[in-house]
Amino acid sequence: MLFMTDQESKPALCIKNTREDYIELHIASAFSFLASSSGPDSYIERAIEIGMPAMALTDRNGLYGAARFHASATQNGVKAHIGAEIAVSSFGKHSVPPSWLPNLHQDEPPRIVLLCKSQTGYQNLCQLITRFKMRETTKTEGAATFDDLEEFSEGLICLTGGEEGPLASALDHDGEAAATKHLDRLTSIYGRNNIYVELQRHQEREEEFRNACFLSIASRMSLPIVASNGVRCASNADRELLDVFTAIRNHTTVHQAGRLLSRNSLRYLRSSPEMVEMFRDVPEAIANTRIISERLEFTLNNLGYEFPRYPVPNDESMDSFLAKRVEEGIRKRYASSLKKPLLERARKQAQHELELIAKLGFAGYFLIVWDIICHCQRNGFLVQGRGSAANSVVCFALEITAVDPIGMELLFERFLSESRGEWPDIDLDLPSGDHREKVIQHIYEKYGALGAAMTANVITYRGRSSAREVGKALGFDEQQLSKLSVLVGHWEWRGANDTMENHFGHSGLDIRHPLIGKYLELCTRMYDLPRHLGQHSGGMVICAGMLNRIVPIERASMPGRTVVQWDKEDCADLGLIKVDLLGLGMMAVLKDSLELIPRHYGEQVDLASLPEDPLVYQTLCKADTVGMFQVESRAQMASLPHNAPGCFYDVVVQVAIIRPGPIVGKMMHPYMRRRQGKEEISYPHPLLESVLKRTLGVPLFQEQLLRMAMVVASFSGSEAEELRRAVGMRRSMQRMRNLEGRLREGMTRNGINEAEQDNIVQAISSFAMYGFPESHAASFALIAYASAYLKVHYLAAFVCGLLNNQPMGFYSPAVLIKDAQRHGLRVRTICIQRSDWPCTIEHEMDNTQSLRIGLNYAKGLRQSTAEALIASRISQGNFRSVDDLASRVPELNRKDLSLLAQIGALNSINEVAHRRDALWQIQQAGRPVGPLLRNRTSNPSVSNNMPLRKMTIDERLAADYSGTGLTCGPHPMKYHRDSLRRKGYVSANELQRSSTNSFVRIAGSVIARQRPGTAKGFVFLSLEDETGIANVIITPDLFERERVLITRTRFLDIEGLLQIQSGVVHIKAHCIRPIDITTADLRSHDFH
Amino acid sequence: MVSARYVEYRETRMKSRGQPDCLYAAVHAAEFPAQAILRLRPDLRSHPCVVLAGSPPEERVCALNLHARKRGVVHGMTRLEVDELGNIHILTCFAETEATARNVFLETLLQFSPRIEETFATNASAFVLDITGTERLFGPPHEIALRIRSALSTVGFRASICICTNYDTARIKAEFSSGISVIPYEKESEALAPVPISALHLELEHYETFALWGIGTLGELAALPEEELIPRFGQPSRAWLALSRGYAEHTFQPMEARFELKEHIEFETHIEQLDSLLFVCSNMINNLVARASSRALSLASIRIDMSLEGSAQYKQVIHPAIPSNDRKFLLKLMQLEIAAHPPQAAVDSLTLTAEAGQHCKVQLDLFALPMPEPSRLDVTLARLKAIAGADRVGSPVLLDSHRPGNFQIGEFSINDQLFTDAKTLNRTCLRRVRPPHTLRMQLNTGKPAAFRDGSAPFCVSVAYGPWQSSGCWWAVDRWDLEEWDVMATNDSGESIACLVVHDHLNGKWLLDAFYD
Repeated sequence: MLFMTDQESKPALCIKNTREDYIELHIASAFSFLASSSGPDSYIERAIEIGMPAMALTDRNGLYGAARFHASATQNGVKAHIGAEIAVSSFGKHSVPPSWLPNLHQDEPPRIVLLCKSQTGYQNLCQLITRFKMRETTKTEGAATFDDLEEFSEGLICLTGGEEGPLASALDHDGEAAATKHLDRLTSIYGRNNIYVELQRHQEREEEFRNACFLSIASRMSLPIVASNGVRCASNADRELLDVFTAIRNHTTVHQAGRLLSRNSLRYLRSSPEMVEMFRDVPEAIANTRIISERLEFTLNNLGYEFPRYPVPNDESMDSFLAKRVEEGIRKRYASSLKKPLLERARKQAQHELELIAKLGFAGYFLIVWDIICHCQRNGFLVQGRGSAANSVVCFALEITAVDPIGMELLFERFLSESRGEWPDIDLDLPSGDHREKVIQHIYEKYGALGAAMTANVITYRGRSSAREVGKALGFDEQQLSKLSVLVGHWEWRGANDTMENHFGHSGLDIRHPLIGKYLELCTRMYDLPRHLGQHSGGMVICAGMLNRIVPIERASMPGRTVVQWDKEDCADLGLIKVDLLGLGMMAVLKDSLELIPRHYGEQVDLASLPEDPLVYQTLCKADTVGMFQVESRAQMASLPHNAPGCFYDVVVQVAIIRPGPIVGKMMHPYMRRRQGKEEISYPHPLLESVLKRTLGVPLFQEQLLRMAMVVASFSGSEAEELRRAVGMRRSMQRMRNLEGRLREGMTRNGINEAEQDNIVQAISSFAMYGFPESHAASFALIAYASAYLKVHYLAAFVCGLLNNQPMGFYSPAVLIKDAQRHGLRVRTICIQRSDWPCTIEHEMDNTQSLRIGLNYAKGLRQSTAEALIASRISQGNFRSVDDLASRVPELNRKDLSLLAQIGALNSINEVAHRRDALWQIQQAGRPVGPLLRNRTSNPSVSNNMPLRKMTIDERLAADYSGTGLTCGPHPMKYHRDSLRRKGYVSANELQRSSTNSFVRIAGSVIARQRPGTAKGFVFLSLEDETGIANVIITPDLFERERVLITRTRFLDIEGLLQIQSGVVHIKAHCIRPIDITTADLRSHDFH
Repeated sequence: MVSARYVEYRETRMKSRGQPDCLYAAVHAAEFPAQAILRLRPDLRSHPCVVLAGSPPEERVCALNLHARKRGVVHGMTRLEVDELGNIHILTCFAETEATARNVFLETLLQFSPRIEETFATNASAFVLDITGTERLFGPPHEIALRIRSALSTVGFRASICICTNYDTARIKAEFSSGISVIPYEKESEALAPVPISALHLELEHYETFALWGIGTLGELAALPEEELIPRFGQPSRAWLALSRGYAEHTFQPMEARFELKEHIEFETHIEQLDSLLFVCSNMINNLVARASSRALSLASIRIDMSLEGSAQYKQVIHPAIPSNDRKFLLKLMQLEIAAHPPQAAVDSLTLTAEAGQHCKVQLDLFALPMPEPSRLDVTLARLKAIAGADRVGSPVLLDSHRPGNFQIGEFSINDQLFTDAKTLNRTCLRRVRPPHTLRMQLNTGKPAAFRDGSAPFCVSVAYGPWQSSGCWWAVDRWDLEEWDVMATNDSGESIACLVVHDHLNGKWLLDAFYD
């Protein structure tokens, strides 16, 4: 302890409790965002270390970390109390150093600590936070008022806080009387039994002065006191990171932060003996921590979440209303002659599903999702459910999904089963962009601002962000940090050399220097800590008007959006159900294509009834799939010729098989070998033939696992699903043993001998981890097929849609355009006389379609400016000169004009001879003209002198790529082909005709780099030239040797061994060199 | 294409026999920080060497030699990156070495012309010599260039040299070429044609435009029509064209002989009395003031250098708060300075060197209260500095840090706002002990029990604390202190209230302050 050795003064309050266990009730975690340096898990670890049986997490203005704190505490047997530090603006300003003491403190409202006694208290705390957060118009901290506190006071215990509390600030500003007044106010709000005067001791003089005053006030008002440590980090070693966070939060460096930083390292989670010793002059303060802890009965187990309700007519229940909608849907879905035979089976299955839904009380959820679908249909938005929902005939009938589970024999239990103990999870794919936003806004309108919100996405520090921000806080210069940031890659595969130490070394930072060593250490410690709260891309939680009682809601940075304070996993862990409204770029492409096709091809296309087209399958078999959904990746292209899909189900398998799971689970190669007839089709047991026949005896889908258990051991659907989950997640050895026992018993009953049983058990357990849901694959396969169909038959419309919905997919627009050109599509450059904002389709003289690049590809040109240009063109006709353009569209500044001239968009003006001529003219035209000359008719910018020479090919390419990111002219490699051919280089399309195992030399631009986690450090490069794309494999050794060259160089010259298998061509690189092709800035799409 | 301006230029610059009447030699020594060191280290010249500037850990390459460039070193590399290349000598940049080298460089050039103008180039030392009429002394232009190169080589420098009748042409060509170039009259534009456009030091925006136009060299710029260029860039483009075509006009501004306010006297007999010394000083100050006044300047500082008996040296500097020409005032300051720091032996010689400054230009308010002369404050401050030391007089300025007692001495200033915070005034005062006394502390269960300050033992009766303070963990001057406020009595019953500090990093107990 502190204070007084010989002449100890006794506290004025009598000691009521002599128990010496201390419970920490005031802890900020890293979810206080830059105000603490330890995550909730670290506090629980520390609590176990010091034997603290309970503790309270009180993050700043929110419950952001509560879910994780609760989960970690529950796992480790620590009682997790929930609370928050709440800023209260009515108290005035937070305590800051006096003005004569130099400091950078900003004005902030004081904060009190509120702890949840009961479920009512928790609901009030959530509502309180929601109230002041939602009062703000933008995403900001916000602060409560006395009125808010009064309205939501029940069930809460209030601690008065430390230096950040209202008593400290009142004492600093106006003395003891003001502090007493504030305490009076808090007492009137929370009641005498629920208010504790908080004492903190961090061995600081000012704090002890305050404590003496607090003790005196508490004694005078007969209020209890409580000790806390105002914890900001789990251990004292974390203080350094806390200081770095403080500097980041205040946009300064640690050198300049001064008094903003911690005075010492004592704000860590201190053990009971330490705290008891520290407060031995006021033991009541320690005893009261225990008393409060006992009074805090609430935990997040008792959240009070109710399943959403859907408004139905008075004479209906939600179940009956749902049953009617399903019946209507089934009649509609199975009306065609092809489907009619399935009608009865569908009805029977729907009955089974509805019974289960009614039993589990999920009708409201299905109706809410159905309502979203109806809204989309009414407004003409494309929408399709994905994931395991496609196993349900109810979802099919409600038009949530497009895959017929009866026709495809999908298994409902994979979606929903009684034993599963989880809510159903339906993901809806919508076109990314406006339509999706409209659906989200519809949900807000329908369920109210407090009834629906997006789930959060906690953005955490990764290698690059931690290196940059710690570096800035430590005062390193921007140039050095940029260099380091570039090197800290995000490859999926991390080799032994992919360490921060090596990245520091490569960027020229010597980690032997103490400051650099500290920098590295802090980066490592910061990794994975929360940085800020974003919003999830599509997850919405809906709770019919009561969501703000379950979790606080706040404004998102995007206007019109609100977000809950928990992320998707936290919501799932606590049983909140969500609907994922995912923006799928390809859905937007399909939507755009469906609008363009009737206008430009004069044909109607119905996605729901696309024919099985041999041409589409031939294209897929050739792996000619650039731009197609799910089958365009490098790995897909490498497997398509082997698998040779010939029907829709083959596409389903194709979509599912090139995934990390099936690859790691070693399913891919057996299936491919069997598909090519290189391996005999066999089954673990004859009984399983019916189950595995479609996948050639290779168990691939999770649904197959369920069926296997049902066939061989007579498991029910829900038992089988339980088996899948137990084996797949390996949650409990005991549970797995029990299930295996039951499985074996069932098999014995069905006459399967022990050897065959072993075989089946082995098959089940080996792929349970890696199987893919068939329903999900089927949903994606529908879109994949549709995209392939549109590309094959309506190339211009499809490419136009692709270009207008970037970024998406595996390839950059530059590659998509080159691919389209190779397929015969004419692509026209941006032109101010022809281009609209988006890319458009034009008709050539021969009545074929061509693609016009839109002004949206002119980098840096604002949409409003482009629209002003288009409006002027429509109203007053084509632009006659550069000066005419500049005077008619004053929104175009000189930078815009320069950009348009540079990319050749002004070349269509009669008086412009070439790009440089336009640049020469705009240099004068862009200048403001004085009033005297404003109305002149002659054009001063045009002169007979043409002093600038035309751009060279290389200059033109550089201008194209820097101004638009693509070129409509020939590929840069084409200009060098003759000389390359003379030197023995072959082009991408010539590789197919070369002999396998020969050495070849190719050159091209790197369009994609991949280092997949499943490929053991191998790197895959896609090299493009004017004839196509070549695939290069780089061994880990070669990558290590040439890391900088491979990751940075745009054009490579590669020599290696050619490998051709079933039409799949690879070059195994032996030697890599840079090659000088152009200075243009071609960008590769690197996958991490 | 010959523009009208060029014709005009040529006519005005030519002598009657058709040749211009001036000739310039531009000398450009690139990578000067490296040359400044390597000229004195011939053993390193054949090895790759780089010079680093900046403080660790952020040292960067600021200059390098050709061998280092061949090894792949570029400017801006860090020490680690240079280390990784292996076998490269790393040298450190010292401003003094560079300044000395520059002086040597200049002195060498002065052998060829008294009219020299310094031009400023990044990372280089560059001068242009007006060598008009020196042909009779040193021979034709090429011969002069060879002589200059030879002279520079003798003192260890390598430089590119260009001789031309146009000042800027010579300057630019010397910067962007190596070896010797002699540009014949009317061939300036041709000679400048391959020089990159960066030689013009334009704004970034203009570089971008020229890059878009495909204009990368002065030759390409020179080819642009002037009447088209001016409407696009305004009048500055006229100057760019003149520079790129080699007919820019320049008013030569030769470096002037240094104006030095210096007085020196050697005494025939040793001076031991201050009064005698001040008598001489008085005359010297009068002279200095008169010389400064003649140039409308004042004395901003006076350095006193004395040679003392036994070859010891004496150096002091006096700095009036504002430059002054008040002889009496300056003499008084000097008297105080010398009285505060008296010479330790008899004086053999005395040198006064003054720095010139501008007069104080403050116009006083007619209605303001009469104030004491500013020079009186200087005298007072000088007296205080004489007693306490120059770095201990001024206004204390608190620093933004938790480090106890952290402040710095700033310029003296008068705060006219009265401090009226009664609450603060009533607080106990703390009298800091500087430097803190080291104590021998006895502890009892971790708390101060008794200590010994020098020989006097004190017994602690009450100890409040510990107050913990630590910080600056990222730097070498980090601190970790534990403070105790103690009341202690000694054997004679004397009682003190003081602040003792345990410095954890150095393991010392210190008496830091007394409570009054």
